[in-house]
Amino acid sequence: MPVLFRASFGYLLRHPWQLTLALLGICIGVAVMVAVDLANESSRRAFLLSMDAINGEATHQIIAGPTGVDESVYANLRVEHGVRSVAPIVAGYVRYADTTLQVLGVDLFAEREFRNFSLSGRNENSVVGSRTGDGSAIDVISSILTIPGALLTSERTAQTLGLESGDEFRVVASGREQDAVLAGTFSQEEQGRLDNLLVTDIASAQQWLGMLGKLSRIDVRIRADDTALLQRIEAVLPPDTQMLSAAGRTQTTMDMSNAFLTNLSAMSLLALLVGVFLIYNSVAFAVLQRRGLIGVLRALGLTRGQTFALILLEGIMLGVVGSVLGLVVGVWLGEQLLYLVARTISDLYFVVQVTDVSLETGSVVKGLMAGIGATMIAAAVPAIEASSFQPRLALTRSVLERRAGRSLPIVAGLGLFAASAAVFLLMISGDNLVAGLVALFLLILGFSLVIPIAVRSCSRVLAPLAGRLVGTSGRLAISGVGASLSRTGVAIVALAVAVSATVGVSVMVDSFRGSVSEWLGNTLQSDIYVGVPRGAMDPDLLPDLVAVPGIESYSTSRRTWLETEQGRVRLVVLRMAPGSYAGTSIRNGDEEDVWRQFDEEGAVLVSDPYAYRNNVGRGDTISLRTSGGDRAFHIAAVYQSYDSNDGAILMSRETYDVFFDDPTINSIGIYLGENADADRVMDQLRQVSAGRQALIMSSNARIREMSLNIFDRTFVITDVLYWLAVGVAVIGILGAMLALQLEKARELAVLRAIGMTPGQMGGLVTIQTGFIGLLSGIAALPLGLLMAWVLIEVINRRAFGWQIDMSIDLGVLLTALMLAIGAALIAGIYPAYRAASARPALAMREE
Amino acid sequence: MAAPSPTIQIRVKDLCRTYDEGDKQHAVLEHVNAEFVKGETVALRGRSGSGKSTLLNLISGIDAPDQGEVNVAGLNITKMSERDRTLFRREHIGFVYQAFNLVSTLSVSDNVRLVLELNGVNDPEASNRIAELLEAVELADRAESFPDVLSGGEQQRVAIARALVHRPSLLLADEPTGNLDDKTAQGVLQLLDRLVGQTGGTMIIATHSAAVASYCDRVLELHNGALVPPTT
Repeated sequence: MPVLFRASFGYLLRHPWQLTLALLGICIGVAVMVAVDLANESSRRAFLLSMDAINGEATHQIIAGPTGVDESVYANLRVEHGVRSVAPIVAGYVRYADTTLQVLGVDLFAEREFRNFSLSGRNENSVVGSRTGDGSAIDVISSILTIPGALLTSERTAQTLGLESGDEFRVVASGREQDAVLAGTFSQEEQGRLDNLLVTDIASAQQWLGMLGKLSRIDVRIRADDTALLQRIEAVLPPDTQMLSAAGRTQTTMDMSNAFLTNLSAMSLLALLVGVFLIYNSVAFAVLQRRGLIGVLRALGLTRGQTFALILLEGIMLGVVGSVLGLVVGVWLGEQLLYLVARTISDLYFVVQVTDVSLETGSVVKGLMAGIGATMIAAAVPAIEASSFQPRLALTRSVLERRAGRSLPIVAGLGLFAASAAVFLLMISGDNLVAGLVALFLLILGFSLVIPIAVRSCSRVLAPLAGRLVGTSGRLAISGVGASLSRTGVAIVALAVAVSATVGVSVMVDSFRGSVSEWLGNTLQSDIYVGVPRGAMDPDLLPDLVAVPGIESYSTSRRTWLETEQGRVRLVVLRMAPGSYAGTSIRNGDEEDVWRQFDEEGAVLVSDPYAYRNNVGRGDTISLRTSGGDRAFHIAAVYQSYDSNDGAILMSRETYDVFFDDPTINSIGIYLGENADADRVMDQLRQVSAGRQALIMSSNARIREMSLNIFDRTFVITDVLYWLAVGVAVIGILGAMLALQLEKARELAVLRAIGMTPGQMGGLVTIQTGFIGLLSGIAALPLGLLMAWVLIEVINRRAFGWQIDMSIDLGVLLTALMLAIGAALIAGIYPAYRAASARPALAMREE
Repeated sequence: MAAPSPTIQIRVKDLCRTYDEGDKQHAVLEHVNAEFVKGETVALRGRSGSGKSTLLNLISGIDAPDQGEVNVAGLNITKMSERDRTLFRREHIGFVYQAFNLVSTLSVSDNVRLVLELNGVNDPEASNRIAELLEAVELADRAESFPDVLSGGEQQRVAIARALVHRPSLLLADEPTGNLDDKTAQGVLQLLDRLVGQTGGTMIIATHSAAVASYCDRVLELHNGALVPPTT
């Protein structure tokens, strides 16, 4: 290694604390980013793999309305029109051992062209596609074909469920128990792709899911250039069916979660941004403390370019080591976050089963680039500064601080410019989410750049006051913060940004929760809710249920998905009880008129997110595929709803019955008479349904509690991420205080020499760190509120279409203030101890 | 950059330097004129704050004057770019400071090697020169020691070795004995005198000490930033 580099880098090796903190800053910043990226990508990949396994070689899918495709469509295509490359599918969900499992009902004879499930066992063979097979495979195939409920699953799923081949068990489908038998398992190769999937014969699936005579879809395989076949199939499809691209459908489902994943990535970038501040801090300290050395080197003939390159190279080395460490930690953290990400996606969008983090090259490269890039940017500023040093050894602290002080108005000006750019970007970017996030980051950056000048003013104003209150220690401590702004400024900014994130996210989540809670309070008008998870209520059971004494009235609900030009949309079909209307909050229009249109004229309502995403509103029309083909529906109003990210369409049961051939009811809402007891009514309802269908019954309060629990669950990962950002900031403050103390070792030693006690020394450092925390906290409050506003009005609106009423809880603000002061004080413990226990003679000699 | 003449002659003409002190300006050097011929040893005497160090910094090109010029071997270094001044300094000037200013993270031999590395001297040649000079300053046995275990006198001898290892035409010494006791100071001055004498270079020593000045061929007196005739 060249002597020059050893001369410079040797400093860091001799100050392992500083080196460690710099590496930790980079490491955590990169780790959080990599972890979120890996968790996101692993979930996405798991979903795509499972869709790939389930879709197989299908290029298109024929689908129909809520009740599915009539079996006759398949027979017609295959027999009448001779289309061989089609396969019928019945898909749905069942439960076993507290686990939700996806069921795929297939016709084994039609499967050969689509899916190839490999069996595990002594003689591995393909269940489908195997022309000759051998005994074991044929046994399995004949079991599937001849034994009702015979199924296949992956070895891992079988193990998780405690099942072995040949085991008989009972699954719950649409609230009814059904017989099942494990005929065989897939080979190891299929693991991951086919976890939590049960493959059975189509007849069994129809039986379980109550879809006799119906198919969920028909898979079609068409060569890309065979447009004639495509047209021939489309020509013979009945009006309620449509043929869509299989890849397009998968993508549409995947797209549903994109906004959520983008928001997570933005949160991880926030941690990296805080990390960048810390890297800058660390590198800047290292440069500033070596100004003597740099002065000597410059005097000996090191050019400005060489000085710049030396510091930058050092930064890059730190960046590489920190980023590699960050990758290792990131993979571990990604495994922890994976569960949270997958659970949230499953709660909000689609069921995704993922157990392992897949180490994506893209994530690794992104992490390394971000870590090294951030370090280079962070190191470039001090490197420029170092190379601009006049090679005079007498470059004093006061000169440096004066220079820093002079640059404050310029820095603040740049901050105002960044903030203005953010506002401009918000104004011109329409509903672009990424532009919204960029604007948010510009706002944070802009605000951050204004903080140092404010700190200097506060320090000047408050130092005399602190002197009167606490004495010399107080005055020295407070004035020291402003006087050492080149050291303290960035640490304050880093902590302020991290704490502001807690304020911003907390206010946003609290406001969101408040809006959801209020909405639930309004929406949940019924006293008792009865339904079947992922299934239909038995139509014969319904009259007996509603005849239970104490029930005054009831509403019915059907929740289904429709394919529209804009993708899949949730259709909520309600037969309203008189008390139900108040449960739907109309955003615009005269309520009486809206409900009249809804009940009598076949109009629909659309939810906030739907209206926002599709840019429609009251008076517009939307086209839906009904049993009789496409039909336009008038939108009577937009209503408040938080039940689906992608929005929902509300339709009256009467309208639905006219246009859709689907009598299904998923749940009912029961209104009790005045003196009826809810618990007693529920007991009676259970008695009525016993042995006929397993129903889920919940009181109004219980549903509300469960809904809010799910809401809270979805924000756990957000909590984790912002606490990581706070952790990064605490490390920053610790680094800043240690560096400051190192820098001022001689000054502190002189104070000790002239009579300051160890206690006073410790107090001085503690007051200083506490003041740093206080300033960070105070700066964090307006920035946090600004972030909350942008998150609510811009990010959530653009990502999900939610309309949230912002509400500020003073407790959140106080907690943030305490958090900032507490974090700084914790970071100051060790520096205070060191200051108190330093031996003045040694410190003065070392200097 | 053209190679300077081997006979260095320094001419300082009408040199002024002012520093900002808050809102005020403080004149450190005012219209200084001086000449230095090759091979002579000159003492720059004056009290603290008289401008000795500033004049050395301007002569070496470490600092730039507000007015006036510095000619070294016919080259006006005040007109050079900062980079050219640096390269000129690297090649032709050696420094010895009062506070030694050794790099604490490097061993004695590496401190000396640093200048050669900057000048692109190849390794066998560099090793020979380092060994030769450490022998000359009687520190051959401390080559791998680090500065913080050396005495003040030893540290200053390392600094002298570093200042001379690239064979500069001009050696600038700023209070080279200020941190040393009398006996050690005497040893250092004798060493400087001997080694610079061997190279035939010019040496300018900034000092407030009459004893140090007595080692020099001539003395220039600085008072409040201006050269005055010597009092003795």
